[in-house]
Amino acid sequence: MRSSATAPDQLPAGAYAAALAGFPHMNVHRLSALLRAHRPADAWLVVRGEARATGLIERVLADSGVAAAWRAYANPERPREAWERCRDLGVGVTVIGDHDYPALLSADRQPPSVLFYRGSLDLLAGRRVAIIGTRNATAGGREAARSIALGVSYAGVHVVSGLARGIDGCAHRAVVGGAGPGKAIAVVASGPDVVYPREHRDLWEDIAANGLLVTEAPPGTAPEAHRFPLRNRIIAALAEVVVVVESRSKGGSLITVNEAMERGVQLMVVPGGAHNRAAAGTNNLLREGAAVAVEAQDVLDVLSIDHHRHGPVIGEQRARPRSSDREVYCLCAQQPRTIDSLVTGSGRTLVDVAMALARLEQAGWVAQADGWFQAVGSPLR
Amino acid sequence: MLAAVRAATLFGVEGRPVTVEVHVSTGLPAFQIVGLPDEACRESRDRVRAALLSSGLPWPVSRITVNLAPSDRRKGGSGLDLAIAIGLLVASGQIAGDRVERLGFLGELGLDGSVRSVAGIAPMVSALGEFAPVVAMASYREARAIATAEVRVAASLAEVVAALQGFRPWPDPPADGVLPDEVLPPDLADVRGQAAARFALEVAAAGEHHLLMVGSPGSGKTMLAQRLTGLLPPLDAQRALEATMVHSAAGVSLPATGIIRRAPFRAPHHSSSMVALVGGGSSNVRPGEISLAHAGVLFLDELGEFAPTVLDGLRQPLEEGVIRIARARATACLPARFLLVAATNPCPCGGGPPGSCECDDGARLRYLRRLSGPLLDRFDLRVGVDRPDVDDLLQIGGGECTTAVAARVAAARAAAHARAGVSNAHLSADLLDRTAILSSGAKEMLRTELEANRLTGRGYHRIRRVARTIADLLGDSDAVVLDHHVATAMQLRVRLGVSARGRAA
Repeated sequence: MRSSATAPDQLPAGAYAAALAGFPHMNVHRLSALLRAHRPADAWLVVRGEARATGLIERVLADSGVAAAWRAYANPERPREAWERCRDLGVGVTVIGDHDYPALLSADRQPPSVLFYRGSLDLLAGRRVAIIGTRNATAGGREAARSIALGVSYAGVHVVSGLARGIDGCAHRAVVGGAGPGKAIAVVASGPDVVYPREHRDLWEDIAANGLLVTEAPPGTAPEAHRFPLRNRIIAALAEVVVVVESRSKGGSLITVNEAMERGVQLMVVPGGAHNRAAAGTNNLLREGAAVAVEAQDVLDVLSIDHHRHGPVIGEQRARPRSSDREVYCLCAQQPRTIDSLVTGSGRTLVDVAMALARLEQAGWVAQADGWFQAVGSPLR
Repeated sequence: MLAAVRAATLFGVEGRPVTVEVHVSTGLPAFQIVGLPDEACRESRDRVRAALLSSGLPWPVSRITVNLAPSDRRKGGSGLDLAIAIGLLVASGQIAGDRVERLGFLGELGLDGSVRSVAGIAPMVSALGEFAPVVAMASYREARAIATAEVRVAASLAEVVAALQGFRPWPDPPADGVLPDEVLPPDLADVRGQAAARFALEVAAAGEHHLLMVGSPGSGKTMLAQRLTGLLPPLDAQRALEATMVHSAAGVSLPATGIIRRAPFRAPHHSSSMVALVGGGSSNVRPGEISLAHAGVLFLDELGEFAPTVLDGLRQPLEEGVIRIARARATACLPARFLLVAATNPCPCGGGPPGSCECDDGARLRYLRRLSGPLLDRFDLRVGVDRPDVDDLLQIGGGECTTAVAARVAAARAAAHARAGVSNAHLSADLLDRTAILSSGAKEMLRTELEANRLTGRGYHRIRRVARTIADLLGDSDAVVLDHHVATAMQLRVRLGVSARGRAA
């Protein structure tokens, strides 16, 4: 709900909710209790001590410290400031009960009272798979996350993840770098303007522009540790299937797994090597009977999507490689290649191959890491 | 009676002339050496006495004082034995003083009176200047390669004395005979596949670019590095002399001709200490591996396993081409202009194709962090090396042989030196702008890389230098660098990193 109304008497409910979310001593439980019992504008009177509180809030306000802090913070200008800040940042605010509040979440057992978002909430009406895992991933895990994310996004499925380091970032990078109709949906723990981790700044902005970035935290909120487990419940609530790629035996991803199981969301696990510590947690899940996901098709099967029926990809924006470069691209598409195997495979000179690779990489058809070239995005047809 | 005999001692890779003064006088029989001798030097007392007696020469029962002048500098080693013995014989009147005037004596004595070779003959002979060196048989070739005067040899003290007394002529030097075939470095034709790494070697040799090879164990990184010296041109006279001095000073065996003409190859183990690598020592500074690799190749396998402080010690010599070793008493300056070739695994488990590595991000990051920093910046070339394809391994006959590649390297070096006077790796920013003008296609390509954040500012300049060398190798030696030169240079600079978005820093 974005509105240009800024006169104090015309402020929308979101303005009060946004201001309340930024209160000291506020947390999701208190905010939820407040907004369940009152409309946002009335809740504002409660925290100012001008209206009577009930239940949890009454108990909280019995603590004179909190009551005083809230009263001091509840400056009449706050809602407007909060509203204008969101507007300036291009951040949308939706409060539970609003017409644009995601239906998916309103039915949840612990819905966020306020959502701050950038991008399009309409994506939540599409098919959604969460791909999550450890921040400290192996190359194998990253590759699995990349290929599954890319595969489902080409089948039109949106990828939900937490935009953390490791698996999360890898899945989202694959979606953003690909040209499939499936988009990236990022659920983050900090404010919508507080990029964390910083190395994901480009990804963060890209998702805000082309996908959806949601958070419970108002702008300016730091990525505090306690917000991450709460963020995980939203990931679980937004996904039809949760795919765990790698998790240590006590990894944070297991919190998302529990949240998913409590909600009856289908859980799928990518098997890891027997002695891969990064996959100890996921392998435990397999031992307990979780479904196996090896490639994107496994996930699509669970979603009952036949990807073969999808025609040529719409929205391919990369320039088609010139015919002489196509051979090099096709070799990279078969399997990851070193420049040596490309020279041997194509029978061309190193300089020729290097030139082809430079053009392909710059047009976004192949990517290189540690000397290995891989085809990226949708296959060239 | 007094005698003065010429000799020399070694400091670092420099010879320093020493005058051995011997005074024999009446008094209580004693034998004393003054003038800051070190332990080995002081022990020469006992060797000289035994050698004299074994050779049937009388030992003067007198008070003997030996002074090593200049007496304020510390002298080390056993190379002064022969000079002390001769000085003693002159001072005690057994040899006429004028017979030793134009000679310099370099050698250690055995208890049986034999003359033995010592390390550092080349620099010490050079310090003797116009004095004709008298050395052991085994030192003859080394001394002859450097000496300006005629070299005299002797197998024993008795022979030296007989020649000096005029009873017998100087012994003949060992016959040249047939020089053993020079040991050639292994040939590049043995390498199967590895197109990128082969070309990287060629570029490294042509432009003097330092090279880092990244690849899993068993992919042939060491094999490739050993073949680099064969691509380097023979050393010019100046470099050959410097390299010979270093090898001689370190007591490393020299080729049969006595002078090093081929670029040396040194591959110290990763457990090497700082002193072993950069040189050092207390009384006499011994050259380290980086000086032994002077004018040649220093190969550091498993770069990440070297102690970080040891690697940091390489930074100054990489910059200046010399290593200055300061001690309380003196500072030695040793030559150390080498081509650095290093090899590393991409991660602790050895890596391999994407997806096969089982190291987590943390482990990879820790591993790469050991390499990162200023040292990693010095490598213009970073090339991935993977096990060759099975087809390549089974193929009869490898790629081009060393001779063919070395010819291209020599031509490219000549072109670079004719254009700028230095190797491309050492081009200043100003010269780079003038001699490596980017064509519009090349400029566009680099702009795209910079904008996509795949290239940093520093990487940009390094790629231009390498592109300049590639152009020279391909015969395009005018001042313009084209897009395919830049494209190839970019592929010889793999991105190392945890995420796929690693940057060519």
